[in-house]
Amino acid sequence: MEPIRKDEIDAQECGSVTPKSKPCPRPKPGEAAGGCSFDGAQITLLPIMDAAHLVHGPIACAGNSWESRGTLTSGPSLSQYGFATDLNDTDIIFGGEKKLRDSINYIAERFAPPAIFVYATCVTALIGEDMDAVCKEAAERLAIPVIPVNSPGFVGSKNLGNRLAGEALLQYVIGTGEPEREIPLGVNLIGEYNIAGEMWDIEKLMNSAGITLMSRITGDARYKEITWAHRAKVNMVVCSRALLGLAKEMESRYNIPYFEGSFYGAKETTYSLRQMAFLMNDREMERRVDRLTEREESRLIQDLRPYRKLLKGKKAVLYTGGVKSWSIISALKELGVQVVGVGTNKSTEDDVRRIADRVGDDTEYIPEGGASRIIKTVRERKADIMIAGGRNMYVAMKEQIPFIDINQERHKAYAGYEGLLRLAKELTYSLANPIWKLAASPAPWDKEDPYDH
Amino acid sequence: MTINKRKKPTSVNPIKIGQSLGAVLAMQGCYRAMPIVHGSQGCSAFSKALLTRHFREPIAVQTSALQEMDVIFDANRNLEEALNTVLSKHRPDIIGIIGTELTDVAGVDYQSMLKSYKRERNMRGGLAFSVTLPDFRGSLESGFSSTVEAMIDEMIQQVGPRGSRNVNTRQITLLPGSFLTPGDVMELKEIISAFGFEVIAVPDISTSLSGHLLTGFSPLTRGGVPLDSMLQSLQSGLTIAIGGSMERPARRLHNALGTPYKVFQGAMGLKAADELLHFLHQISGESVPLRYCWQRENLLDSMLDAHFQFAGMSTLIALEPDHLYSVSQWLEELGVEQKALITSYETPVVVEMEREIWIGDLDDAEFLGKGADLWIGNSHGISGAERIDAAFMPAGFPVWNELGAYMSTSVGYRGAMEWTNKAGNLLMQREARHRESSIRHR
Repeated sequence: MEPIRKDEIDAQECGSVTPKSKPCPRPKPGEAAGGCSFDGAQITLLPIMDAAHLVHGPIACAGNSWESRGTLTSGPSLSQYGFATDLNDTDIIFGGEKKLRDSINYIAERFAPPAIFVYATCVTALIGEDMDAVCKEAAERLAIPVIPVNSPGFVGSKNLGNRLAGEALLQYVIGTGEPEREIPLGVNLIGEYNIAGEMWDIEKLMNSAGITLMSRITGDARYKEITWAHRAKVNMVVCSRALLGLAKEMESRYNIPYFEGSFYGAKETTYSLRQMAFLMNDREMERRVDRLTEREESRLIQDLRPYRKLLKGKKAVLYTGGVKSWSIISALKELGVQVVGVGTNKSTEDDVRRIADRVGDDTEYIPEGGASRIIKTVRERKADIMIAGGRNMYVAMKEQIPFIDINQERHKAYAGYEGLLRLAKELTYSLANPIWKLAASPAPWDKEDPYDH
Repeated sequence: MTINKRKKPTSVNPIKIGQSLGAVLAMQGCYRAMPIVHGSQGCSAFSKALLTRHFREPIAVQTSALQEMDVIFDANRNLEEALNTVLSKHRPDIIGIIGTELTDVAGVDYQSMLKSYKRERNMRGGLAFSVTLPDFRGSLESGFSSTVEAMIDEMIQQVGPRGSRNVNTRQITLLPGSFLTPGDVMELKEIISAFGFEVIAVPDISTSLSGHLLTGFSPLTRGGVPLDSMLQSLQSGLTIAIGGSMERPARRLHNALGTPYKVFQGAMGLKAADELLHFLHQISGESVPLRYCWQRENLLDSMLDAHFQFAGMSTLIALEPDHLYSVSQWLEELGVEQKALITSYETPVVVEMEREIWIGDLDDAEFLGKGADLWIGNSHGISGAERIDAAFMPAGFPVWNELGAYMSTSVGYRGAMEWTNKAGNLLMQREARHRESSIRHR
């Protein structure tokens, strides 16, 4: 595959908002990478920590995936339980609806969750299980929300799954509750999943600026808080294309203005906080935010100084495979790291435009092709480090390329001012590790000159 | 002896892993191979992510990327496209088509599609086979052994009638079960070859998933047993299968080629190691190498040192059937009470065990094993072990909370010693923690 330039990028609307001008591109058999819609739906909903998440299908969908995400909880952990109807041959033949009903009853009785999310899988969709009816009946009988999530793997990509999960929230959750006390000026964070605890860093920042976090959608969320998300004054979509539709719909239904932002990098963080205050139309809050961001930024400049010296001019290839690409580019730029290659396989036209605004003209776009294409770019552009998802981590290790994990399985939080400092540290530690030299030099007996005594 | 099941409609914290993951694992042990999972993207993506997390290695796998309309109209068109792409781009030596629950329920006939595909393309020199592995049956273990069986079937078909065989009595085919780590397979190969045999492991994850520094990225498997060695293994004078689940593939070789086989159900502990080495000693006529005599004494000495630690202790084991059997045999030698044994599905091996076996999940493990001192199972058990205040010993698949788990060795005398020490250390640390907290409470 030839590298393509930014003006050639094919627009992709997949996973983004209505109206869709083009259908989602079909994954190419034999070279498809990435998860399915079921995976996507779980990524969006599993961070609702106190709810039960029941997978209706044979075992693999739940059995091969539970406890695999880096989203953290500050309290309840029911969402970390793997629930599955675990259908067997006979269930497939005679239908699994009874088992589903019994399972919902069992979970409701034993764990008393505030809500149960029920996920369809390819097999249950194929044999025509009427999940919606079972959930509706159970919800009425048990008097708790039982929410069907119709996002079986074979309907499409992970992004689509995110979006379908957002639709389930709109249809069944948002607007069904009221906050315990009135919060006049609250912000919803949409699409922030508290990977490695990033939500907590953001929350801390917002608190210091005196901005109230209304509903977390969905990082470290409690079910309850999402029911009153419609009472927020502002929606922030945290670098997630797929949930933009949710924000748009909330704007038209509840008149909540939204903006898209990110917390990767100091500039983006400052912009996001300012934007919140601006949309609240609260002068006092704007002043508070200005004071906070100025203070944080100047402190950060001090803290970053030693790292910037080490990172200046270093080249990185970025392959997050999603919407995060443009926001991470800003963060890297602030550290003096040059992005010489960037993955655009799952980015929309809009994302690509944002990427283009942030990178130099000679940056290579990697539209698809997976690991071998990334490696090729790293080699050709003489990149010093690769920044990608866990799936590609060991590919980089095999090629002895320094690596930073940026996707949902990661263990380090990079959001906010603190996060940028952490990213700078991680980059320097990774580049400075002695292993790169050790692994690159041969065993003493394999060194060339045979007469060297 | 008795197989039990707790009555509940839902699987809570499953121990079961989809069969197709076992197939992908088996194929990682073959050189330049590519498993193609015939299902939706997630069917392969979850397997890939989980295997990567456990082995900390890139995993070769592809998918036919079925979407709803493909399933309704023609799923095999996707498969054909996937085959075309994989063949033309990567030229693998071995291709395995792994049928999933999705293709099974939709009634997709990929077996005959593959046959005609091979005929039309005049495919020679490689190995292409299919295996049906819906996840509403079996678990990782059955997926693994069925795939090895399908691979052997295909090899037998390819080389033709048994007359052309040139038996090499100094060569042994090793069929290692799914529960063995790359470190285990390496140890077994070493033990067998120490008695003067050539040994070919099918599959051989010890050279692919043990960690290597080959550069030059390939989407195919790196390392593992090459196809020509696999074909050569058909000339072996004997098959050694480790784990009851590998008896079927061994029997295939016996039925088709007349190769005698020996199954070692257990692989762990003194008795199991004794059996293996005694057997090798008898069939080879070679004396047992000195280092194994030493290792045997080392093991016995470490068991003597550790037995204080195990006195009065009880364990809970939640593992795949063959692994459960092996670990249980080893624990028996330590004199530890086996409070609860939980496994993923019923196999002849667990049915014949003289213990009470539960088919269930990790929630059952928590319930039945309440009060146990040591929890042995995969990393999903961490929080359950915490809840019942048991020391946690990671074993089986997946293990993500420990570096180098894939190299930990449990077979042979050395393996038994490693595990005995590890378990003893965990109990010792737990005891120290308890002591500390009881002082604080005073």
